[in-house]
Amino acid sequence: MNLTIILAVTVVLAVVSFFITRLNKKAGGFLTVIASLFAFVGLFLLKGSIGGEFSIFYFSFKITMVGWYFALIMVLAYSMTSFFNPFWMDKMMYPGSYNFMYLLSMAGTIGMFFAKDFITLFIFWETVVWSSTFIIQLGKSRKASYVYYVVSAIGSMATLFAIMMAYSVSGTFVISEAFAGLSGGAAIAVFFTFILSGLAKIGIFPFHVWLPAAHGNAPHTFSPVLSGGLVKMGAFIAFLSVTAFPAYEIFSGMFKVMGTPFPIYFLMALGAISIIVGTLMAIKQEDAKKLLAYSSVANGGYILIGILMLDQVGFAGGMMHLVNHAVASAAAFLAIAAVAYRTGTTKMSEMGGMIHRMPVTYIVYLVAIISMAGIPPMGGFVSKWLIFQGLADKGMLFLAAAAFFGSIGSFMYVFRPLSAVFLGQTFTRDLKKKEVGFFMMLPMLILTALSILAGVFPNTILRVITEIQASVGISPVTLAENTIVTVNGYLDAFRVFIVFGFGFTIAFVIFIVRRKSKKVELMDTYTSAEFIHTRELLHYSSKFYAPFERLYDKAPDTMKLYKKIAVKIGELGNLTESLFYGHKPEKTVFWVMITGIFVVIIGGVV
Amino acid sequence: MINPVFMIAIPLILAFLSLVAARIKKWLLLSGVLINIAILFFLEKGETVIGGFKPPFGINLILDNYSMVGLALAGLLLLAGVVLSLDKADKYSTVLLTALAGINGMLLTGDLFNLFIFMEITIISAYILSTAGKKPEYSFNYLVIGSIGSVFYLAGLVVFYSLTGTLNMADLAAQNLSMGTPELLVPLFLIFTAFAIEAKLIPFGGWVKGVYGNSNRLTGALFASVYASTVLFVFGRVFNEVFALSGAVQTIIVLIGVVTFAFGEAAAFRQVKMRRILLYSSIGQSGLAAALFALGLIFPAVLLVISNAVSKFIMFSITGKLREIYKTDDYTDLKGVFFSNKLTGIAFSISAMSLIGLPLFFGFYAKLNALTALFNGGNWFIPAVILLFAIVEGAYFIRLLIALWAPGKEGEIADKSHAVGEIRIFNIKKSILVFILSLVILAAGLIPDLAGKLISSDSGFMGGDGPAFTMSQLKGGE
Repeated sequence: MNLTIILAVTVVLAVVSFFITRLNKKAGGFLTVIASLFAFVGLFLLKGSIGGEFSIFYFSFKITMVGWYFALIMVLAYSMTSFFNPFWMDKMMYPGSYNFMYLLSMAGTIGMFFAKDFITLFIFWETVVWSSTFIIQLGKSRKASYVYYVVSAIGSMATLFAIMMAYSVSGTFVISEAFAGLSGGAAIAVFFTFILSGLAKIGIFPFHVWLPAAHGNAPHTFSPVLSGGLVKMGAFIAFLSVTAFPAYEIFSGMFKVMGTPFPIYFLMALGAISIIVGTLMAIKQEDAKKLLAYSSVANGGYILIGILMLDQVGFAGGMMHLVNHAVASAAAFLAIAAVAYRTGTTKMSEMGGMIHRMPVTYIVYLVAIISMAGIPPMGGFVSKWLIFQGLADKGMLFLAAAAFFGSIGSFMYVFRPLSAVFLGQTFTRDLKKKEVGFFMMLPMLILTALSILAGVFPNTILRVITEIQASVGISPVTLAENTIVTVNGYLDAFRVFIVFGFGFTIAFVIFIVRRKSKKVELMDTYTSAEFIHTRELLHYSSKFYAPFERLYDKAPDTMKLYKKIAVKIGELGNLTESLFYGHKPEKTVFWVMITGIFVVIIGGVV
Repeated sequence: MINPVFMIAIPLILAFLSLVAARIKKWLLLSGVLINIAILFFLEKGETVIGGFKPPFGINLILDNYSMVGLALAGLLLLAGVVLSLDKADKYSTVLLTALAGINGMLLTGDLFNLFIFMEITIISAYILSTAGKKPEYSFNYLVIGSIGSVFYLAGLVVFYSLTGTLNMADLAAQNLSMGTPELLVPLFLIFTAFAIEAKLIPFGGWVKGVYGNSNRLTGALFASVYASTVLFVFGRVFNEVFALSGAVQTIIVLIGVVTFAFGEAAAFRQVKMRRILLYSSIGQSGLAAALFALGLIFPAVLLVISNAVSKFIMFSITGKLREIYKTDDYTDLKGVFFSNKLTGIAFSISAMSLIGLPLFFGFYAKLNALTALFNGGNWFIPAVILLFAIVEGAYFIRLLIALWAPGKEGEIADKSHAVGEIRIFNIKKSILVFILSLVILAAGLIPDLAGKLISSDSGFMGGDGPAFTMSQLKGGE
């Protein structure tokens, strides 16, 4: 398969789908399914041509192992989510442009991962940013789209600065050579500005503000792509900033923390903070999508820490967590979307007992959150285990503590939508709701299967990662037949699966054999002669963790920081306006004189 | 081959005719701008001496690559403006034809005093056009400030003439005046002030708020594109070819440009009225272009001027029309207005995204060229400012686009029922015209090297550098 064909076909189909949607909305939606599946298959077959270089127009590409790996994850998220598109067309204000932007942004991500030079990468990157901005605005919040764009722009402008600065030293934009010759202060400036777009995209603290806004409010059919796919673009930049930019070599002379140069450790600490912030904020959320968005923040922290370690074990964990999180979060978002498709809401307190109506969706969600929380036997367990191993190996106590905290905390938050949305009493309103159709179920089931498979046979993915590790010159993680070997021990995921499967079977048998519990209506309760009309207040999940949340409800809101900056810029604008602009000529005459005097003094005429 | 003097003579003759034959003045105007474009490509390149006296004693016109680009840009945009708003342009036929003569003269002339005359013609036409806003005090403000500029310019010329005995551009340039000396600083500042007032640089451009802010779809589009780009083109020539800037003077002018850019973008950020957003954005862009010109980075500056002119033309035209229809240009009152005007909306969006400098649009190429050229000159501070305020610029334009496209309450999905009105902004022909103009931005952004070559003929301007960055250099791997 040829990358040119993949890109050309997706871009052409993007345009075609725009016009088809105008004729028939559903057909346009189905076209996105076809196009993204085509891209997925095409990319899968592209593995044979790794190492090839070529150019289309002025874009130059190089097919690398890591690019292939990232692109595959990305397009997996796109193609699986696309199955939902046809069913949402009627709810979109601009279905045609939605489909167009959907495919265009997908093509953008593909092109970006295979870029050979930074300009190509940047062009594709920004194309993804603006096209997804126009998708997010179709969702529940205009502000979300704005926040998304601004945070992305902060990142991408910084990265452009880094690219240009590196270019001024090395004279080339080619990714593998562009950072040559950097040293000292320039190297630090380039490193931090370059990785900024990565941090912004992954949603690392303090750039995480866009995730709850955008993930939470984007059209239901785009949140899975945002969380499962687009944040991984940031991970790619993080990857480049320790490989293409040889951070460990350049900073080797610097002050080190636990054997890691300070600039890198600083970013890892930011990752750790993201884990903590993401976890705590997720616990607080009332909206299932916002909750999952914050969990993406936390998981982004794991990914960043893993990738930045650039070692044998932790790095492999970070890279593997990319797949696991992509699969799990896409599945979770799709499950929530499926529920929203039937109930029309994502607020947890407005739902309940959906397990009786949508059992398959329930299982999909269950598996997804198990994987996200890092519980065996799902994929998330393996990757988190690897990251823990890496951290423990280096003795990074603070980071490890944060990582553990995030893991425990995730039990708290992922359980909540499960209990609120799926368990408990079904709302009368929802009693007639049905499971979604097979076409929508299919991608969810595929993702669920992938989550389990990644947990049972992790070595399939890890083998690809060992090749990536080899390509960047670090020793690959040691893999035996079906075990992962580290200094501290080994993990046989299959055996873990057997043990858990055994436990599950026993529990299931007990569940079947035991007498069924009595079902009561939510309002069927004793209220000591008081009438309660707001059933949400009686809901099992309302104020679920209130005592725990009270511990940190005074925590500062990062969004305020951005708002303050915006106010300051506005004030500068105000100042400009009031100082220089008016409807009377005196003001300008005054300034002409002042400037004249200033120039004369500077020039030394007087 | 046609003598370039016709570029000035024909519009002037038509302008006089339009006074005599007032009934057909609309057609005279149309034919004037059309002839202007038609003969543009058959003009005799190089130097044309007028009146038989050899320069530096006589007056000469210079048609090089640089003035050619300026003429084409101004001519085409004026044509588009006249076609798009013929109903409004009709009344100002004489003025517009005179303005065309003045603009062509400004771009062509090789003499500083001659430039003064053409500039006066052009600016006076601008004063008259500004009265279309029906706010006399703003026009008066412009008139006073503009006159100060003219007087300053003339005063500066007097000093230069007394020092050097010539006002011919080439002759002055050949004298290699050292701009560092105090005697030259004052006249140079006087001349700079005149340009700075017209180019809207902070703190000289106080008139802009009133004039741009009250423009209609014709005058706004022409001010922000035709007039603005012409002034910047001349600015570029005067401060590169005639006076080679260096030292403190250069630093001051660059600083003024950069400050204008930053302050202008910040001021645009807090606006809710679309014309105000656009006017402050114009100020910002103008400042950036001026800074680049002052640094001698002519090619990136020209790209920036072109991309800004085309974008602003489209955006001001649409905004002006919106204001006509809805009696407001507050974008919070115009939510979802593009829902029933998709073609126009796409044109507006492409223009805005090009201004921000997003890839696939021409503005990105301009931005990359500017950044590369600046970094090549060892300058990292200005790129940092540019990129920092590009975030601000992106923020307010994207906010504007979101509002105009997607109406809806927060917490509810975007819905057409919240969109204002279903009135067509432009009729189908005009929508297509605007759309095609925006496609030019897109096409030039998709094949930027070709566009760059078309603009600079690969050789750059006035002996300066050509493209600092080309897409084809990526393939070469360099």
